[in-house]
Amino acid sequence: RKPLPRRREIVNLREMGREVSESCIDSLLTEMVSSYCNHFYANKPELAARRIEAIGYQVGHQLSERYTMERPRFSDHLEAIKFICKDFWSELFKKQIDNLKTNHRGTFVLQDNRFRWLARMSLDPTADDGVPQDPADFAESKAAQAMSMYLYFPCGIIRGALSNLGIPCAVSADISNLPACSFVVRIKA
Amino acid sequence: MIVCVAVVGHQSFTEADDALKLHHIVHCSLDVVDERVNNPKKSGPTLNETFLGLLYPTENYKVYGYLTNTKVKFILVTTDLDVRDVDVRNFFRRFHAAYVDAVSNPFHVPGKKITSRTFAERVSNIVKSFGLSST
Repeated sequence: RKPLPRRREIVNLREMGREVSESCIDSLLTEMVSSYCNHFYANKPELAARRIEAIGYQVGHQLSERYTMERPRFSDHLEAIKFICKDFWSELFKKQIDNLKTNHRGTFVLQDNRFRWLARMSLDPTADDGVPQDPADFAESKAAQAMSMYLYFPCGIIRGALSNLGIPCAVSADISNLPACSFVVRIKA
Repeated sequence: MIVCVAVVGHQSFTEADDALKLHHIVHCSLDVVDERVNNPKKSGPTLNETFLGLLYPTENYKVYGYLTNTKVKFILVTTDLDVRDVDVRNFFRRFHAAYVDAVSNPFHVPGKKITSRTFAERVSNIVKSFGLSST
């Protein structure tokens, strides 16, 4: 017979009442990409990509509102980017961005060494004839193109979040160095 | 008594359900907000805080401001004469939480007026309990 939960556990269950399991999110993302690529915009990958990115944009917009709630305002672009790398990424993926680079001219590269939403994908860097491919070549392959469809959503999230913080930008993903994934943010002048 | 609470976004769209005079007060206070935010020398250490404090007292009202990281302004107009700073801060904190929940609604269009009834009820509750807690 299971013992009744102690008081502290009861409180935690109540707090957790509004959470969703991670596998639900994974399934939702998979299904979103599948729906747009195979159903709504079948054979029009550019349109599917743009739609998925737009969904990410709205999500990022709303999440930035929530996650900047208790904080003082950012004094410059770098502060906002650092917020994305640390607090924002932690809220979304329970880890921070591993590496941040900039050319000090408006381009930032946010590198996640093990991006959560790609972690469950099998990536086989060997070509069909069994010979291991160069990771940079892999990036051009069909498998990589399929994988990149899953990156439009997080790119949109970053773009939406920064845009809501007053920083219009373009965001793209770079998977030439798997399993690391880099998000390239180009701030519009 | 709180007579008006306004949410002002990027496009200076106001949601205030009161008379023209209050609209005018809110609009004037927006100028003060801009001035406070754009004059670092005057604002001092509170430049990047969300709570902007008392914007200006008129003969009948006190107007408080709050500016979020996403450049959304909350303006509070009250007829109370002795308002505690901590009460106003609490008010804005709770109001901000309600605002965040309202704009997280997927059917809400950013920039447009918030039409959620839940938001209206929550704001109503926050307004009613303004200044009542004695902790």
